[in-house]
Amino acid sequence: MLLSRRLALGLTLVGALAFPAFAEGPTEIDLFFPVPVDGKLARDMGTLIKDFNETHPDIKATAVYTGSYDDTLIKTRAAIKAGKPPSAVIMSANFLLDMQIENELTNLDPLIAADGTTKPQFLGQFFPALSGNAVINRSVYGVPFQNSTPLLYINAEHAKEAGLDPDKPPQTWAELTDWAKKLTKREGDKVTRWGIAIPCAYDYCGWMMETLTMSNGGRYYNEEFGGEVYYDTPSMLGALSWWNDLIARHKVHPPGATPGPAVSTAFISGNASMMMLSTGSLTYVRDNAKFPYKVAFIPRNVRNAVPIGGASLIIPAGLEADKQKAAWTLIKWMTSPEKSGWWSRATGYFAPNMAAYKTPEMVDFLGKNPDAKTAVDQLEVAKPWFATYKTVPVRKTLEDEVMLVLNGKKQPKDALAAAQKAADELLKPYNAETALKLP
Amino acid sequence: MNPFKSPIKWLLKDTPLATRNEITPKLGFALVVLFALVWLIPFLWMVVATLRPASDGINAMAELMPNLKPTLDNIRDAWDIGDFPRYFLNTTIICTGILTVQFVTVTLAGFAFARLSFAGKTLIFYLFLLQLMLVPVLLIVPNLTLVAKLGLYDTLTGVMMPFFASAFGTFLMRQAFEAIPTELEDAALIDGAGVFARIRHIYVPLSLPSFSAFAIVSVTSHWNDFLWPLMVINSPDKRPLTIGLSVFTQTAEGTQAWGTIAAGTLIVIAPLLVTFLIFQKRFISSFVTSGIK
Repeated sequence: MLLSRRLALGLTLVGALAFPAFAEGPTEIDLFFPVPVDGKLARDMGTLIKDFNETHPDIKATAVYTGSYDDTLIKTRAAIKAGKPPSAVIMSANFLLDMQIENELTNLDPLIAADGTTKPQFLGQFFPALSGNAVINRSVYGVPFQNSTPLLYINAEHAKEAGLDPDKPPQTWAELTDWAKKLTKREGDKVTRWGIAIPCAYDYCGWMMETLTMSNGGRYYNEEFGGEVYYDTPSMLGALSWWNDLIARHKVHPPGATPGPAVSTAFISGNASMMMLSTGSLTYVRDNAKFPYKVAFIPRNVRNAVPIGGASLIIPAGLEADKQKAAWTLIKWMTSPEKSGWWSRATGYFAPNMAAYKTPEMVDFLGKNPDAKTAVDQLEVAKPWFATYKTVPVRKTLEDEVMLVLNGKKQPKDALAAAQKAADELLKPYNAETALKLP
Repeated sequence: MNPFKSPIKWLLKDTPLATRNEITPKLGFALVVLFALVWLIPFLWMVVATLRPASDGINAMAELMPNLKPTLDNIRDAWDIGDFPRYFLNTTIICTGILTVQFVTVTLAGFAFARLSFAGKTLIFYLFLLQLMLVPVLLIVPNLTLVAKLGLYDTLTGVMMPFFASAFGTFLMRQAFEAIPTELEDAALIDGAGVFARIRHIYVPLSLPSFSAFAIVSVTSHWNDFLWPLMVINSPDKRPLTIGLSVFTQTAEGTQAWGTIAAGTLIVIAPLLVTFLIFQKRFISSFVTSGIK
């Protein structure tokens, strides 16, 4: 059966080459998609693509599941190198710069121009905060699809018990520390309920460090250039020291590096009264929390600022023109107000397309679930997500050290110095090729 | 003897008479039971979590005690999300396909290294061993490029191909063949048996424990392999079990439905587990006789 199918494919190919005019049938394209949220969404993705195929008879899209965000990058890169690039990929928004440096992305400017739209018009559909991870050197390389910001989730019942007003959530680190102390419950030396939990696992840990560093007034990396990270700085030291203090000094945060699912489980089960987590978890919390909860902005130490997260749609380099065109049609369809609104309601991510919030379904939804609005409001202070040359290894140098600190094995100062040294080493070739290259 | 009346005595019934009343073997036995219990807890948790109704809430999730009203909802959910019969079929095809070809290649290669003499034999053998040091992840891009060039991208054959030769298997079979007395082969030679007849009638039957040990290692590692099939396979209908399962266990920003994950994991490991329980004794003895411990 396999043989006959390959034979048929071969014949079609020969036919297409010999008689281009008679080449029939839909353009077949692959969409690589990770499932960064609750697994039932794999089914929702199936529904979405089925809907697309039914409304676009000249294109046949297949949704290809590709693991985590990091796995998706590996698979996409391997496929491109093997000469089998996928037609479109839902790619973690912060991998775009690295891919562009490696010439793995299609510049979308010509496709936008061919539609008769200008770049400002096209980008104008999306929240301005998202441009940072989609536009590289003034060219568009990605289209925002599912995006997030970190949020502070609060168990309103616990807050009331502790004499705190859940309608006036903590706005500064000092207030948050105070809340966490009041919310933590102890029996002797044993903690029975934690005041706050912040996740630290690969990918998530770097994002949370960026969040804390930004609200501490700092920057994580050079947003304009892919060769510099600012790990060994006072703003990041302050951020990591505060996080570590919550564990080691105040004992209001579970010790050790806690993965995301453990944090959300602790919150849902009432073992943690507050947590910092992505808005991507909002639908899960809404469906599972058996208590009233509130979502709030991430509190500041110096300023209110958060990184965006989530994924953009990209078209890999090296595709045939017809596949590229079909992929572009799919991307525009998926990021339209109706579809991105639908996906947002299913997942908890916010819809990057601003018009999505004007659709009647969304107005209705927000009326019933005002918590879905917080991440959108927080976009006012959102900044791009960490992206450098070799993003993943550079991110991991920091994450490894942060985990050591949270596990009580290293001091923040030493950890950040070590992370900076390791990251600089990784960034060296790119700097030698660009920033240090003199005419 | 009634196992329920005196379980310790029943369990020790096979020990030699001389040691039956000593304390050390009993202590060792108690230690083994303890380790077994520790090993059993996560497994038990998985079974309990699978059968626990979602209405118990996430609070109950951490508890080990089974609920009084077990439900099959989680299993049904997991079954609905993934096309498990197809995943099983694909994984079985991959594992048996790899193993069948491996049996041929490792037998011939093992025989060559054990009994034939040819130029550069030692060097080639060391090169083979060197391959054991390489992490498979390192070879993803070159392997995938080759697979794509051969037109095997997105096929099960493409998933199997890089594993058709096995350095570990070759090494294992060489050890096994070398342990077989050459006199047996000489006798066959006198009777006029060719190379293949000798392999078929002397070496293979006498190395069966090594073959089964190798089969276990090979099948479990390919049954559990995730990254390589993820790279090769695009079509949903060609996914093996690991990828099918990860569709609902891998998360980055979100959270997890533990009941469904536990159910999915149970579905995936059940066949290996059942096989192990049935052939337990034979598995262990094959490892002991083949020298892998």
